[in-house]
Amino acid sequence: MKKKLISLFLSAAMCMSLLVGCGGTGKETGGQTAENVADIQNEQEAAADTQTDNQAAGETASGEKITLQFWNVFTGSDGDILREIVDNYNKTNTDNIEIQMDIMPNDQLQQKLPAAIATNTAPDFVLFGVENIAPYVSNDSLEDISDFWDVTGVDKSNILENVLELSHVDGKLYGAPMQYNVSYLYWNKDLFREAGLDPEKAPATLDELAEYAVQLTNPEKNQFGLALPTSVTYMQFLWANGGDADDPDTNTNLLDSEENVKTLEWLQDLTVNKKVSPSNITGPEADTMLQAGQIAMYMSGPWQINGLRAQGIDFGIAPCVAGSAGAFSPAGGCSYVIPKGTDESHKLAAYKFMQYWLTDDVLKEWSQRNGFPVWSKTLMEDPEIQNDEVLSAISKATEIGRSYNLGYALASQIDNDVMIPLFEKVMSGAATPEAALKEASEAMDRVLAQ
Amino acid sequence: MANFKKKKRRYAAQNQKSAYLFILPSMVILSVFVFIPLLASFVISITNMNIFMKDVSLVGFKNFTRLFVDSRVSNATFNSLYFTLLEVPLQVGLALLLTVCLAKNNRYCKMLRSIYYLPFVCSMTAIGIVWSMLLDPNMGLVAYWLKQAGLETVAFLKDPKFAMPTVIAVTAWKGFGYTLTLLAAAVLNIPQSLYEAAQMDGAGSFQKFRHITIPGIWSTISFCIVTTTISAMQMFDQAYVMTKGGPLNKTETVVQYIYDRGFQTAPYDLGYASAISVYLFVIVAVMTFVLRRFILKRGEDADA
Repeated sequence: MKKKLISLFLSAAMCMSLLVGCGGTGKETGGQTAENVADIQNEQEAAADTQTDNQAAGETASGEKITLQFWNVFTGSDGDILREIVDNYNKTNTDNIEIQMDIMPNDQLQQKLPAAIATNTAPDFVLFGVENIAPYVSNDSLEDISDFWDVTGVDKSNILENVLELSHVDGKLYGAPMQYNVSYLYWNKDLFREAGLDPEKAPATLDELAEYAVQLTNPEKNQFGLALPTSVTYMQFLWANGGDADDPDTNTNLLDSEENVKTLEWLQDLTVNKKVSPSNITGPEADTMLQAGQIAMYMSGPWQINGLRAQGIDFGIAPCVAGSAGAFSPAGGCSYVIPKGTDESHKLAAYKFMQYWLTDDVLKEWSQRNGFPVWSKTLMEDPEIQNDEVLSAISKATEIGRSYNLGYALASQIDNDVMIPLFEKVMSGAATPEAALKEASEAMDRVLAQ
Repeated sequence: MANFKKKKRRYAAQNQKSAYLFILPSMVILSVFVFIPLLASFVISITNMNIFMKDVSLVGFKNFTRLFVDSRVSNATFNSLYFTLLEVPLQVGLALLLTVCLAKNNRYCKMLRSIYYLPFVCSMTAIGIVWSMLLDPNMGLVAYWLKQAGLETVAFLKDPKFAMPTVIAVTAWKGFGYTLTLLAAAVLNIPQSLYEAAQMDGAGSFQKFRHITIPGIWSTISFCIVTTTISAMQMFDQAYVMTKGGPLNKTETVVQYIYDRGFQTAPYDLGYASAISVYLFVIVAVMTFVLRRFILKRGEDADA
């Protein structure tokens, strides 16, 4: 009897410890909601206080306090600036809106958000790359915000057409533009001087780029002329010679062309024979090497600017180089979107914040502090912007932006299964350009057949 | 007499009831985190579910037929097998070799065993990051040393030929301390009298190792082989951290491809990813079964 009691007691203790254990882990994920509840309660009290204050002062408060959950992927230094802007909005807005911001890496957000939308626990609005909009829309997971301009009175015509286009799918608006960028050519002026090149003149054509890259490569000093990381696509090269990957409107495969073979031969010659790039580096590694002055030229987005400034590198920014068909650069950007299922009052509150973002003051602060190009027409006339050397260079280089598979639900699959392996094979010399292109073209057919 | 038997049976039944209570906690954990997800992935693998979980319908074995023509699945299977076939013998062999030298309970051996155990305590992610920094051809320490010594630099993790062997070496380096600890404990349990008897019969040190140590710790060795094989087939974090599956998919294992299909590449095809996990489940189950049969049989032979 005694034994039985003890065993019962022990197993009960184990069950308890299990529950406690589970509770411990559960807390980590659920903790936030608990905190939020506490926050909301605090805020409600605070709101009640201010309300009474306002009433005492004879003002009419604008309704109840609205707390908005906001997820985004700005994990870099730009996230700090974004947080400042959001904090400032929380302090100054007159609509009693409080935004609670949650920053997470993009792949984490992509894992959490669809599940959150499916279970109605999604945040009220999200900020992510425009390339994500199409897959979410094709799964009916984003709110159509085509009424944004009418509701908020924001002047649509003040925003550049190609920027707006990024947030549209099938003619409907799903996101409010937040930033816009293309790829630029960065060059290190000190390394140009050492190699006897004009530090103020960037290469303008594919041939010049190759020529400069060879001159700037110095294996003795572990210095490379042009960084070409893997795991990215180089549409700017294919387009420059008149080639392309696919046509999203007609679902056709455009890979197998003379122009593409020519471009890829040029690329393979550059990486395999002339060895102007460190082999098989990742984007972040290339960023580090650029900031360490080991790389003379590099094509990347505006997010390099702050890092280069911090490291004291004397650099220039130019548009991507031209080929026989002209110069182009794949456009990208970020937009504010509203997940499906957000209720009307929160949606309107999110509109208010988007409206705030689209004012020239905020856009100007964002561009000046981050080096992102300006796309508001009135802001482009601003003398301060026009006199900013980096911003004027970058705005000029942004003019060659060209949309690549945007609004196309298969875009990410085309990149991961066709284009990235193609460029990796060509640049590592694992296959001849013809063979790699043939294989990629077959892979493209399989993806497009879905 | 009959009464006594009955009593005994009742006592046994009661005893079993409390036994079930004891396993209840682990059963709850196992069912929530292992059995239910396992069954769920079988079901998901015959649907077209994606991460948005909208318009889910049954598609039969379409995901499985797709799997067998997908060249990345066969490539990943090859990589997983390549990894397992090299990593397991390396890790267990290295541990066995060191066991022979270190299976004494003096201070020196104990200290070395603890040192070898250290990497096992660290997270694979941290170890992966440290090694990829050390081995980086452009800014790594190893490349610098090789250059100082006047040798040709190898790109290790960035070279399609050397990437997988490098990942294997790092994994074995991290894991062999754990195997060593298990084997050393088993060796220390072998009665000293056996060795003395063998010595009297004039056995040399190799013969003692071959005929006393190996049979004496065979069950531990087979346990190590089976568990290392299973974890090698499920290899993910080291390649994910050090190579991201590259270069040219040379280090992409089955688990990584599952992750890629389910969570990295839109349309986040959970149905297809689950089908590949079922495929991996079958491979691991068959391998474990064969290995156990083979090794246990050898163990019995060795005992006889």
